[in-house]
Amino acid sequence: MRLKVYHAANMAAAMDAVRAELGGDALILATRRTRDGVEVTAGVEAAPAPALPPMPVEVAAPRPVAAAPALGMQERKAMLEWHGVPGAICAKLQNGPLPFALQLSFRFAKLDLSAKAPPLMCVGPPGAGKTLTIARLATRLVLAGQAPLVITTDGQRAGAVEQLQAFTKLLGLELVVADDAVGVARALAGRTGPALIDTPGCDPFDPAAHAELAGIAARAQAYQALVLPAGLDPLESQDIGAAFRAGGASLLIATKTDIARRIGGLLAAAGAGLTLSEAGIGPGAADGLTSLTPAWLADRLLHRRSPGETQR
Amino acid sequence: MTPPTVFAQQRPAQKRPAQGRLGQIIAVASGKGGVGKTWFSVTLAHALTRAGARVLLVDWDLGLANLDVQLGLSPQSDLAAVLRDRLPLAGAVMHHPVGFDILAGSSGTGAISALDAGGLAYMLTATRALAEHYDYVICDLAAGIDPTVRRMAAFVDLLLVVVTDEPTSLTDAYAVLKLHRQDAPTPGNRARIVVNRATSPTSGTRTYTTLARACQTFLGQTPALAGIIRRDDRVADAIRRQMPFLARHPTSAAAVDVEAVARGILPGE
Repeated sequence: MRLKVYHAANMAAAMDAVRAELGGDALILATRRTRDGVEVTAGVEAAPAPALPPMPVEVAAPRPVAAAPALGMQERKAMLEWHGVPGAICAKLQNGPLPFALQLSFRFAKLDLSAKAPPLMCVGPPGAGKTLTIARLATRLVLAGQAPLVITTDGQRAGAVEQLQAFTKLLGLELVVADDAVGVARALAGRTGPALIDTPGCDPFDPAAHAELAGIAARAQAYQALVLPAGLDPLESQDIGAAFRAGGASLLIATKTDIARRIGGLLAAAGAGLTLSEAGIGPGAADGLTSLTPAWLADRLLHRRSPGETQR
Repeated sequence: MTPPTVFAQQRPAQKRPAQGRLGQIIAVASGKGGVGKTWFSVTLAHALTRAGARVLLVDWDLGLANLDVQLGLSPQSDLAAVLRDRLPLAGAVMHHPVGFDILAGSSGTGAISALDAGGLAYMLTATRALAEHYDYVICDLAAGIDPTVRRMAAFVDLLLVVVTDEPTSLTDAYAVLKLHRQDAPTPGNRARIVVNRATSPTSGTRTYTTLARACQTFLGQTPALAGIIRRDDRVADAIRRQMPFLARHPTSAAAVDVEAVARGILPGE
């Protein structure tokens, strides 16, 4: 890593200097105000290091080490409690930097939306943001030069198809309305790119609803992502997460993180064994969804949003 | 004043049973020299000893050993000597009156300029065997990132990387962490960061965050913070007098901070 410290009158001037010297890939490592303006520490990564040649003689492998010490844990605990994170999860998040602790306690994964990946099926309670999530993922794919196949099984609810169609038309994509598992499978038979499946909102605690979703997922060989607003009551979220996990969902897409203050519900739902993948962070179709990483989540958890303050 | 050398004695080979010892090997690295690595190694060893652990302090800087100098010892044998003849390491272990054992580097018997692969493998294997008699073996690594230093860092159970707020120190500490991530068989969370000479806890946190952010972005992993040690003028005083810092200034800010690092390493915290 090449590291350099810049001093400038203001942030814009400092950033210009960083870009001029280190290029667009430079990472801003630290910024702080000084008497004369700002100080920016930036770095760029150099080439990978040469590998060590193998040892001619075997030496024993290292042993496991105890967890890292607790630093600033009181503040962290208070913050997590403010978010309503369930006690059992709070206890697991008390070691090391928060992103690291999150990584240890939860599964995180980027959505695989490649052409060869199984179709992604969004499931969840009514009003969770499933259709908008499908529209956002479709937009992301189109912007990346891919034309996804978009299918909806939500043909009954008034205006449901029209809502999704408004996006697919704009994106120049065809929207297939399927009545059941057979219809979905038929639509998927000819797919050449990624596939996204929207489903009607369902009662999380109705076994029949889960059975129907599981039937579609099995037929389509799709993976189910639970779409759930981040700001719901944590205990309720925990139960909803567990119900959909039992129904076959493996991923969690947390929506509406931008219009919630406390997001303990997000962790409670993920605690049921769902892999965190995406977070809804704004109203936009193109930029309203971001990768849900440990670093993003830690930042969101440690930042208390006051009423009237807009989310970063 | 009586020099501490008088108290230091050669210790006979370990005879006591190894049961119940943690046997954890901890290396202290920094990449850049002059950031307080040797001082920190000695003080950490002392702090762990005061907490009741059985500790061996080893000078792994075979080219330019100075652990013994910092502690005012005159070892009759050292690591370089026993490695040259492939003798048991325990033969060169001496006891410091404050309670921990020391294995000096190469004072007085001539430095080993380069340890060959066989010698290094012997040393690492022998260190692991010797560690069975201790709770912690603290190894003071050489500055730099040559292949020998890399292998030593990859071998240990826990790597503590000492860093200060200077850009050169940050860059070199990052290099150590990057190589460790690449070299260690299971890097996991084996490396932790120690911020030394922090002007305040806030500035120390900033130094840690700067380094952690680079690691997170470029290496995909954030090493934990082992502790922040505040700048303390009494450190230089203790080094000049060749006395263990915790013995001379046990209540100073830096002493309190190193003891906090030790508590984070001890089990049950």
